[in-house]
Amino acid sequence: MAQARVTVPFGTRRQARWLPFLSVALPGIGWILFGLYPSLATIFYSLTQYSGVPGTPLNFVGLSNYVNAFTKLFPALGADLKVTILYTAGVTILQNAAGLGLAFLLNRRRAAFGLYRALVFIPEIFSVIVVGAIFLLLFDPFEGPLEKMYRSLTGSTSAFFGSPHLALWLVVFVNVWMFAGYTMMIYIAGLRNIPHDIYEAGAVDGVGRWTRFRRITWPLLAPATTVNVFLTAMGSIGQYALILVLTDGQFGTRTIGMDMFTTAFGSSTQLGYGSMLAMIQFFLTLLIGGGLLLVLRRREVQL
Amino acid sequence: MSLTSVDPRTRAENSTPDRRVGRPLPRGRRGRLGARLARLSLLHVVCIVLAVGVFAGPLLYLLLQSFKTYTGFLQNSTGWPSTFTLANYAAAWSQGDFGRQLINSFIYSAVPDVITLILGVFLAFPIARGWFAHSNLWYGFFLFSGFLPGALIPLFIEAKALHVYNNMPGFLLILSLQGAGFFFFVGYLKGIPREREEAAAMDGCGYVRFILTIILPDMKPALAAFAVFGFVAQWNNLILPLVLLPNQNLWPVTRGLYGFYGGHTQNWPLIAAGTVIVAIPLVIVFAILQRYLVAGVSGGALGIGVNDAGTP
Repeated sequence: MAQARVTVPFGTRRQARWLPFLSVALPGIGWILFGLYPSLATIFYSLTQYSGVPGTPLNFVGLSNYVNAFTKLFPALGADLKVTILYTAGVTILQNAAGLGLAFLLNRRRAAFGLYRALVFIPEIFSVIVVGAIFLLLFDPFEGPLEKMYRSLTGSTSAFFGSPHLALWLVVFVNVWMFAGYTMMIYIAGLRNIPHDIYEAGAVDGVGRWTRFRRITWPLLAPATTVNVFLTAMGSIGQYALILVLTDGQFGTRTIGMDMFTTAFGSSTQLGYGSMLAMIQFFLTLLIGGGLLLVLRRREVQL
Repeated sequence: MSLTSVDPRTRAENSTPDRRVGRPLPRGRRGRLGARLARLSLLHVVCIVLAVGVFAGPLLYLLLQSFKTYTGFLQNSTGWPSTFTLANYAAAWSQGDFGRQLINSFIYSAVPDVITLILGVFLAFPIARGWFAHSNLWYGFFLFSGFLPGALIPLFIEAKALHVYNNMPGFLLILSLQGAGFFFFVGYLKGIPREREEAAAMDGCGYVRFILTIILPDMKPALAAFAVFGFVAQWNNLILPLVLLPNQNLWPVTRGLYGFYGGHTQNWPLIAAGTVIVAIPLVIVFAILQRYLVAGVSGGALGIGVNDAGTP
């Protein structure tokens, strides 16, 4: 690459040579120390059975954490993977559907719609702990309003977040509720990027509503769809803070990230095995993220 | 894009569209306009049910519960409070140590936010200007590094080894240097013309002074968006304090609330009051600065840490 080095205009020649390095030194070292290093060290710790207890040895064991996870401990890992994939698929599909629907509904210029958008967006700004408290209250199996509604509709009771059948889907719902506003905003930005004269041309040709959506809006919305699908999928694979608050990973909601957290910081601190789980989550992220990007990009070109 | 560019006049008109039906209209057009208005008000009804009922409703419901007495809640858990009381707020405040925790949260959110932004500009500027060989390669690597394996466990081990575990300066140091947002300035800085620094250098302005007095003011919109975004993200962070700060006196409000509702299961009015205390500062931030918050998010430029609430 014959890209010419740009000269630094500041200071004497000698100062100018060192200036760029001095400028990036502190943030660069800080980022390596607390960003890059711990990230890469996960690879190393995944090869140990380090307990984290002061004075205990690292206990390097090679690949045996991985071997154990895929053989004698596979029931646990398999369950994690299944829950993670269900969670990711559920959130990605529902949050995009909700975001798109809301975008169509609320993408209007009148001031009132600005207020509606703000209300839809507001859950996004709260901590998972606030959102968690709200939904644990709403779905409280004894005192919650949704319990009363559920009982009057079905005649039976449910433990909601304590129910192995419902818990995962309720957490998915809360995740969608919390972030649908964000997805909506990206779709709205996408909708506003579609040039108006294309619709006018369509109107001249007398296209119907469905054709207009199918042939104009949906294809031209593809970049926003790519961003949204990718971000929601990546975000939900790595999600465990919300799950921790709502169910503590119990009742069939233990995603791989959740498992990593309880393995490392729960009652028994198995930092080595936890790091291995973080690595599996990383591989899963690469696999799903890479696959999605490939598919979504190709789709953008085709549309 | 602004969420609420509210012109009070049009808002009042919109919220009661049927009032306009009564106004005298030119003959012949009244029927069509009436139908349009009916459709418009139906649209508003749908929007209000969704926005207020589904999205704001749960928040309002929690707020309502926080004004009930505990016995009032047990007698009528889902209805309107029979007597309004502020006792839960007083109790939550004194039992939950929220005063100290709010101060802690503010320190953890504000201090690293400012340091990260300033360091970020110093890191991004040489890269944006191409002062290094292969600047673009570095930029690409930094962006990619967001997809590396989760760093939580080694960060915990490292923090203990470096004695930045379980103390406030250490926690602030980690937050300040981790710097998720550093590299997003590169794109913005490329848009600032080179003549700027050439002229400044010619006038004998030093590099540090140039960054602080010329570049930083130039970047105000980008800095504001990042500052608000970073502040909110850190205020909401639960996982890092959970892992790195076992000492109760150092807890931020999120960690405090997590401990609090473990300790008061089923006393929902009290928990609701505690939750409202934690949420209120953010509602204020949102009300004042939503323009910046939404500008960052809707541009999709801040594709970091948005959906993984709390993970480092």
